[in-house]
Order: sequence, then structure tokens, then C-alpha cells
Amino acid sequence: MKSNQIFSILFLLIICPFTIWAQSDTDFLRSTGKIYTVVAVIAILFLGIMYFIFRLDKKITEIEKQIKE
Amino acid sequence: MNIKKSWWKWLCIPLGLYVLLVGMLVPLKPGITSIDNFNATAGQPFSVHVKGYNSNFDIAENLKAFLRLDSSFLIQHALIKVNGPTDLQLQFDIPNFLPTSEDYATGTLILDNEVDGPSILPAVIRLEQANINVQDGNNLWSKTSLNLASVEKGFKFPHRNILNETIRNTFFHVAIWFAMFFLLILSLINSIQYLRLRSFEKDINASSYAEVAILFGLIGIATGSVWAKYTWGAFWISDVKLNMSAVALLIYVAYLILRASIQDIDSRARLSAAYNIFAFVAMIPLIFVIPRMTDSLHPGNGGNPALGGEDLDNRLRMVFYPAIILWSIIGYWLSNLNIRVKKITEQLISKK
Repeated sequence: MKSNQIFSILFLLIICPFTIWAQSDTDFLRSTGKIYTVVAVIAILFLGIMYFIFRLDKKITEIEKQIKE
Repeated sequence: MNIKKSWWKWLCIPLGLYVLLVGMLVPLKPGITSIDNFNATAGQPFSVHVKGYNSNFDIAENLKAFLRLDSSFLIQHALIKVNGPTDLQLQFDIPNFLPTSEDYATGTLILDNEVDGPSILPAVIRLEQANINVQDGNNLWSKTSLNLASVEKGFKFPHRNILNETIRNTFFHVAIWFAMFFLLILSLINSIQYLRLRSFEKDINASSYAEVAILFGLIGIATGSVWAKYTWGAFWISDVKLNMSAVALLIYVAYLILRASIQDIDSRARLSAAYNIFAFVAMIPLIFVIPRMTDSLHPGNGGNPALGGEDLDNRLRMVFYPAIILWSIIGYWLSNLNIRVKKITEQLISKK
């Protein structure tokens, strides 16, 4: 599986529970002073940076292949 | 890794731990989360249930509650019943007349005690009156004066209504935008240097900084969207700052498309350097000027400078500024890795 596919699946897995919680009145992301919104924001930030690292990893793998050839 | 040369990379570790630990663990100041009654009528008792946040109603001895009108007239509570540390039952005896010639007024709820200090829930209670008598209203409402306890206890972040704990997003969402500007400035400098020196290295630098800056911009939009959903109520609203930053980001995405669409290395470098300067110049009014000329939900727009006012107090600044440095360093580091990968790829191609 390509890293792009893995990332879109990961993103959906993380977003889905949030949207389900968001529909109820006693909303998980709004509980305890909305602290879980901060957690969601940090998770997105982490995913974004990880996406970049994976892309860089892919480029380096290509370079390694070229050197071997 | 040579520590003397790469000290700024090691700086990420203490800075990151500081931002995460202090940013997440420092408690908020006490505040009011919700009330259950928003409508009061003149001449009748108004009883309301108050939910506090981080409050100590049970420890406090000198509890006071005020109902304050926009015209700064106020009355004090008639009854207070403490149900728990964050649970309070209040009753106000609303006078027969309001100090206004309208048939309604808007009231702000103020709680005060010697442990928590004042907590305010602004403009939430609607007071109505059947008969208007401004003279009597003025007399009835001007009997109490507002003496608030001044408490400065411990290192705490401000409690803002609606925002609550999400004020901590300042260290992530806002700081990532600042890091984006830092990277875009580096990209701009490299583009100008390319046009002056025609050195291919500068072109690689400029594009690498711009790529990471766009990644940070996308993270900024995504995190802002989640933040907006749980404070303003929707993932995307028609706010100037949101739309303009989306436009600015699109202009930069066009920079990447422009680079990808030109095969010839020299003309690609020259055109994209010129376009990068245009994109930066276009971004300044889009993000910094236009949102300040109209009203925006973002703090600091519609008049005030972004770093002033009560929304960013000195306690928040002590984490916010290190957070900007942290994300800028991480962005610089990521773009540096990107630059090195691109240079090695170029060397390999030219050797073949």
C-alpha cells in the first residue's frame, strides 16, 4: 500500500469518531472544558508532520535505488 | 551529529517538552461555563443555576454575585446557595423598573469571591419590563457598588467564555501560522537571491521552504477548522480571515503547480522566483490588511493589533513565543532535509 493511501485511511479513522461524538448533546470534544479539541488539533499537527516525513522517506528510498543502479 | 553545529536541532527537545507540558498542564483561571436561566422580568425574583469551571465555591466564604446592565447599573444577589465546588444556585430580586427607556435590557452575570476572584459571563441575561419608569429605575439600580476581590494566585491561563480550554490551541494553531510566515520569508529571500545571482541552489532552497510553508498552512487551516467547529459552531464560516487565508494558500499552491508544469530548469527557476515574490506580496494584504479593515471572529481583527488586548495575556505569551520558535525550527529543519534530498537528487541526475 502506498503511504498516501495509508494516510488517508489514518485520517478517516481519526476524524470519524470525532464526527460521531459531535452529533450528541453530551459531546465528547466539548466535555471537560473542550480540552479534547486541543487534543484533536495536536493530532492533526502530528499527522501533517508525519505525512511530510513519509514523503521525504519515499524520496530517499528512490535515491538509494538510483545509487544501487 | 555534531552538537556545536546542530544545537538548534537539539533545542527542539527542551522547547517541545516545555510547550507541551506547560501549555497543557497549567490550569485555567476560574470561570463560568453555563447558566440555566436567561430571561428575567422586572419586579419578580430571578433564580438561576450557575455551573463554574475550576471554581472553589465550597471553600470561598465571601461569595458575591452581581447582575450588571450595559449602562453599568447593577444589583447584588438576594440569595446564594452553594451546591458544590462548581455548582451554585443564585437568586436576584429584580427591581420593579429598569434604568432604561426601552422595554428590555441586557445583563451580565458577575461572580466574585476571595478564593477565585471575579468570573464574568457577559451579556447573556435578557431583562424585560412591562412599564417604563427611567427615574425610579435609576434610583432602584444604583444602590450597590462593584467591589471585586483582587486575587493573583499561581500561574494560570485566562478563562475565556466559549473558548475555555481551547485557548491552549494558541500554542499550536496560531504558532504554526507564525512558523509559516517565517518559512515564506526565507523562501522570498531565496527567490530574490536567485534572481540576482542566478544560482540554482537558491531555487532549490526557495521551493523547499515554500513546500514546508504550504504544509504548515494546510495544517493551520485544518486545525483552525476543528477549533472553529467547537467554538464558533461550524467547520468553515464566512469569516474574512478564513476566506482570505484560503485564497493566500491557493496562490501558493499555484506556485507548486507552476513549478511542476515547466520542464526547462532555467525558465522554471526564473518564472517561479518571480511568481514567489508576487505571491508573498499578495499574501500580506490578504492575511494582514483586509481582515483588519472589516469585522472578523479572529481576535485582533476589526481594528486591534493581533498581539494586543486581553486575548493573549502575559502568561500565554510565556508559552506562545517559545512555541513560535519551536515550530519555526521544526519547519526550518524539515525544509533543510528537503533541500538536502533535492540537492543529492540533482547531483545524481547530473552525474548520469
